[in-house]
Amino acid sequence: MSVRSERDVARRARDVAIRIPRRTATVLTILLVAIAVLVVIFGLAAIAAANAPRSLAGSAEMRIQQTAAEKDIERAYEQAADQVAKVRALNLAITTPQADQIANKAQSELKTLRHNAFVALGQAQGLAAADAEQHAVAAEGRFGTALPKEPAPSPVLLAPRYYAIVSRMSELATQLADQATTQLTAPASQPPQPSPSPSGSPRPSPSPSPTR
Amino acid sequence: MIRTLAAFLLAPLLLGVFFGAVVDPQALPFVGSERISAVFLLDGQAYFGHLDDSPFSGTIVLRDVYYLNDASKVTTDYPVGLVKRGNELHQPVDVMYIRRDKVVAIERVTLTSPVGQAIASQRSLDRAAAR
Repeated sequence: MSVRSERDVARRARDVAIRIPRRTATVLTILLVAIAVLVVIFGLAAIAAANAPRSLAGSAEMRIQQTAAEKDIERAYEQAADQVAKVRALNLAITTPQADQIANKAQSELKTLRHNAFVALGQAQGLAAADAEQHAVAAEGRFGTALPKEPAPSPVLLAPRYYAIVSRMSELATQLADQATTQLTAPASQPPQPSPSPSGSPRPSPSPSPTR
Repeated sequence: MIRTLAAFLLAPLLLGVFFGAVVDPQALPFVGSERISAVFLLDGQAYFGHLDDSPFSGTIVLRDVYYLNDASKVTTDYPVGLVKRGNELHQPVDVMYIRRDKVVAIERVTLTSPVGQAIASQRSLDRAAAR
């Protein structure tokens, strides 16, 4: 009696169970394997992208970059300062005190601009504000005498962060020199404009930003 | 016998020939040093970055992208400057899709070249600034 009932239970269970055709099972298995392979491929690609080697510059290369950026800033400063000095040396229509005032102001602003550019260079290297200030003073001291005339051993393509600073410095120095030139060469009747600052403020502090 | 030979020799051989033709062994992941590619477009613009060049796609993908900018009025050694893509007005994210039919040439950048060194220096500066 009990054996018979067990057979009935087993037969009912077979009747109730879902029957999946073998072909469908094969297709499902292939699909699952394909999905697993895709997951592995994309996972490997993501891991490879995240761990892709990134080359970093050593201290020697960074020193070369920094020196090149400082030279470029000094070059921009000297070009602008030379322009102002040459125009000041001409026979101008305005009075000598006026011309001196304009030229001295332009030279002073150019020095401020150069100082701020050196500070920005220091900050780009991760220096704190005080350290960047010291770095700027040291750089000004190095260039205090004259820019070395001999060319660099090989030209240096600046890192984008340095290039942004140098580019901004060049742009502002050119603006300052051009405005001073315009004021110096103005007709005698025309009084000098109050501020040659590109920003319009009485004391310009054009700070080339590394994140331009 | 023939079917076994086909399954165990011919199929892998064909697969090897196929992937050997379309896959650059030097572009495989986890192999070698950093690979920076230069992509030159029909309009003369060049972009530098990490290239994802799937042969079955109509576009190529560049990440960590840099390009050259005119610096003829800047007092740098070169008349061009290297700019990192991302600071434009629309501040694009760090991926660039380029249509394959607009590409003239793709070249590998030597890591010791001026562009390679400038990119490495930028990374060092980024790392120093992040500290």
